[in-house]
Amino acid sequence: MPRRHGLLAVALALVASVVVGCGGGGSGPPELNWYVPPDNGAYQKLADRCSRASGGAYRVKVSVLPTDASGQREQLVRRLAAKDSSIDVMALDPVYVPEFAEARFLRPFTAAEAPTLTDGMLSSAVESSEWRGRLVAAPFRANTQLLWYRKSVAAEAGLDLTRPIGWDDLITAAEKTHKTVAVPAKRYEGLTVWVNGLVTGAGGAIVRDVEKGVDLKPALREGGAGKRAAEVMRRLGRSSAAPANLATSIEDDTRTVFQSGSGGFMINWTYARGAAAEAVAGGQLSREVLDDYGWARYPQTDPDKPSKPPFGGISLGVSRYGKHAAEAVSAVRCAGTLENQITYMLESKETTARAAAYDDPGVRAALPMAGLIKESLDQAGPRPRTPYYNDVSASVQREYHPPADVDPNSAPRATDDLITGVLHDKVLL
Amino acid sequence: MSQPSPAREGVRTLVSVVVIAITVLPLAWMLSLSFKSGDDINNAQFLPKTWSLDNYRTVFRNDLFTDALRNSIGISLIATAIAVACATGTAYAIVRMEFPGKRLILLGALAIAMFPTIAVVGPLFDMWRTIGLFDTWIGLILPYLSFTMPLSIWTLTSFFKQIPWALEDAARIDGASAWQAFRYVIAPMAVPAVVTTAILVFFFAWNDFVFSVSLTSTNNSRTVPAALAFFTGASQFQQPTAAIAAASVVVSVPVIVLVLVFQKRIVAGITSGAVKE
Amino acid sequence: MSTASATRTAPRHRKPRKQLDHAQRMRRTGWLLSAPAVLIMLAVAIAPLVDAAWLSLFHKRLTTPDANSFAGLSNYWVVLKDPLWWTDVWTTLALTVLTVSVEFVIGFGLAQLMQRALYLRRTLRTIVLIPYGIVTVVSAYAWRYAFDPSTGFVNDWFGTDVAWFDHRWTALFVIALSEIWKTTPFMSLLLLGGLIQVSPDVHEAARVDGAGPWQRLTRVTLPIMKQAILVALLFRTMDAFRIFDSVFVMTGGANDTETVSFLAYRQLVSRTALGLGSAISVLLFACVLLIAFLFIKLFRTDVSKLGSPT
Repeated sequence: MPRRHGLLAVALALVASVVVGCGGGGSGPPELNWYVPPDNGAYQKLADRCSRASGGAYRVKVSVLPTDASGQREQLVRRLAAKDSSIDVMALDPVYVPEFAEARFLRPFTAAEAPTLTDGMLSSAVESSEWRGRLVAAPFRANTQLLWYRKSVAAEAGLDLTRPIGWDDLITAAEKTHKTVAVPAKRYEGLTVWVNGLVTGAGGAIVRDVEKGVDLKPALREGGAGKRAAEVMRRLGRSSAAPANLATSIEDDTRTVFQSGSGGFMINWTYARGAAAEAVAGGQLSREVLDDYGWARYPQTDPDKPSKPPFGGISLGVSRYGKHAAEAVSAVRCAGTLENQITYMLESKETTARAAAYDDPGVRAALPMAGLIKESLDQAGPRPRTPYYNDVSASVQREYHPPADVDPNSAPRATDDLITGVLHDKVLL
Repeated sequence: MSQPSPAREGVRTLVSVVVIAITVLPLAWMLSLSFKSGDDINNAQFLPKTWSLDNYRTVFRNDLFTDALRNSIGISLIATAIAVACATGTAYAIVRMEFPGKRLILLGALAIAMFPTIAVVGPLFDMWRTIGLFDTWIGLILPYLSFTMPLSIWTLTSFFKQIPWALEDAARIDGASAWQAFRYVIAPMAVPAVVTTAILVFFFAWNDFVFSVSLTSTNNSRTVPAALAFFTGASQFQQPTAAIAAASVVVSVPVIVLVLVFQKRIVAGITSGAVKE
Repeated sequence: MSTASATRTAPRHRKPRKQLDHAQRMRRTGWLLSAPAVLIMLAVAIAPLVDAAWLSLFHKRLTTPDANSFAGLSNYWVVLKDPLWWTDVWTTLALTVLTVSVEFVIGFGLAQLMQRALYLRRTLRTIVLIPYGIVTVVSAYAWRYAFDPSTGFVNDWFGTDVAWFDHRWTALFVIALSEIWKTTPFMSLLLLGGLIQVSPDVHEAARVDGAGPWQRLTRVTLPIMKQAILVALLFRTMDAFRIFDSVFVMTGGANDTETVSFLAYRQLVSRTALGLGSAISVLLFACVLLIAFLFIKLFRTDVSKLGSPT
């Protein structure tokens, strides 16, 4: 049937034109593709600055990844498993660095390159960028969670937040004042952040012996740390201080609750106040709420142990499959300079891995809590560092959710067993 | 039952109104949500306090969405064209010719129509990454073809059964060439069937989420449904609720237009699947 | 257009009346015309399934290239003895039964309405079609935001204070609502196709014989529509069993709202555990076969007629 041929021809022509159109690539400086999380476009500005600074050695093109860490990982893993050469530099949540290194997706930095990328960076950020003794990603952003409080509520509850506060006292204060403690506790990576903060704050760890690969040792049942974490979560989950959406809330949901009439306390990353200031500038939030923002160190799990604030951030990995390794390394180096880090920090409201930036007067003015952030980062309790992190984290999320139903007596053991089973392909996850 | 009574008609009309209201409600809600901005988004009310077009601006300035829209339109149209072309040939052969394996094709198509699509995602991903079709238009078009083929063959076969093919022979006897007979006698009767099938296939491709979310990873080929799931707020921790609403409204417009224009055809197309004329 | 015969005869094959070489030519042309469609279906549906069966025999993960090994049937054993698999199976079945049965009842009423309403009939037929075309992900977002306590109006309208997505059954309820809203039109149109076949005369005759409305429905209408009902239920059941988009958007599988498709997706795509994921894929396929088999037994239908829309 001639008509069919016509249609087919048209279709094929269309396909062909698309394929050719996607080919791209021409003369001029090599184009580096950076995959980054969303950050108000600050990345794009940084990329442009580095492209200009390179004097035509390369041009950086930014592509945005999904919002949540596991979504970012998923996108990258799929592309890299397909040996996609169009990724040059990727912004990785540090928890996935071991997995990517083990899967040979990352090009390790040479002994000559490494010091130029780590000098002057916070040690927690450097440690989380290494795998098997080699630097496989470059420290870039470092993030931590703070306890944000409404000064008016704290005053009403009679809390002195210049001194460390424990989770229990916090929940009690919120109950007394009929306000909420908002914690991101949807079943997602953020929940593991919470569990890990509680567990490390009680002196424990989710897993030990990570160097043994699948034979690592789940350790939630050791020393009652996992139990203590479950007790705190359950208490909040069942308390009048729990926001209605506790079990489905992510970071920005907690900010919405915190800024509403029932807001009292919130656990959130360093970006929170900057986002609130932006809402005030946009006329969507009243000035009083912003002025009511107070901040303190992450709460203690145990009254006699200092709290272990969560550690997050971004490390920059160079893809093994990219075609422009040398340019990629110098672009990563450019992104890490003090000057670029300070500018980036002010533009993106995200905090940096470069220690000296926290002493910069401009940063201090924009982020009055810079000192607290740096202290939290220095004493942070990082999440487990294992190539199987995704499975470990998902196991934790499965057993410690929803917060109101976590059983302190069974959750630690159940999670330990689940992690062991999952890593050996004996249990589904 | 045969003679209409006013009371019964009144009840029917009332029920119709309720049904229409329930049908429209989620759409109206999405529309309303898409005009909200700032704190209005979390006002837990149906209507915004202040109406704003910001979200539409955001959405059309966002290459994640504009690229996805381009991909969706391109991929859906190409898949529709190829699927309908192939299925037309098959349906024509099934209706007009005698050949072994005819029944097998229909049964096989039926089996594929019931396929749990997710079951082929793993292998497809593995195959596509090896042969380089991962995250390409073709990598999505192929599964769309495969999974819309049954629907197309079915619908077209049942339509073609109704065409009085004897007219073609009559035209041939009157001296028309094979092409003329097809062009002036059969085509006008077959074209509506093809258009109907095309719409149904287009809806499938436009709607697909499973393949798009599994076999793409960038703006190169990600379609709108998957892009919606990966929409990001301005910063890492913000929910793009209203932007998703605006994008949802935008992708629903072509569908609604198609429905309004081709309402009769779509009804005919779906109802034909269930009956044998 | 329609016949009122409740029994169906298989299509009679037209005997070749021309000479043999014509028959041969026709056969060749028939194959040629069908080839592209058949090849595409084989390449993208059947071949991957075979591949999935093969992959399911290995411990294979994309991110640990050094640790892949032969597993035999152990992946299947792991899946089948895992409570998570069974939880997900029950969730999927609950959603399937709930949505399909509700859709059948509403869809049947809608079909009657679309056939008989004097006023608003065209409007009804048009408006009701819209959800059919709306992208499932969009429908899921619409319902999610409507029920979400912080963005939605539902709690406000009904004076409730429920965190809908925090509990298994309330979350499943919203997921089911979204599915029902989206797919009832399809169901009702398939049923309408069957309803058109019931000629008013048959009804009239039954009425004269003294059959009440209920008897007329169960003894006359439904038997004549049997074929259409089977097609509608079978297709919707298969479709519901695959449910994925709404769960992905609304809960991400939290609070035991995960369905089997979502489980497969997580193993395959999120965990890149191709071995386990493929085992689930093959089991899913087996479930679908089983459901189809049960349907056909239940309706006692000759399946070969299903495949030929005549």
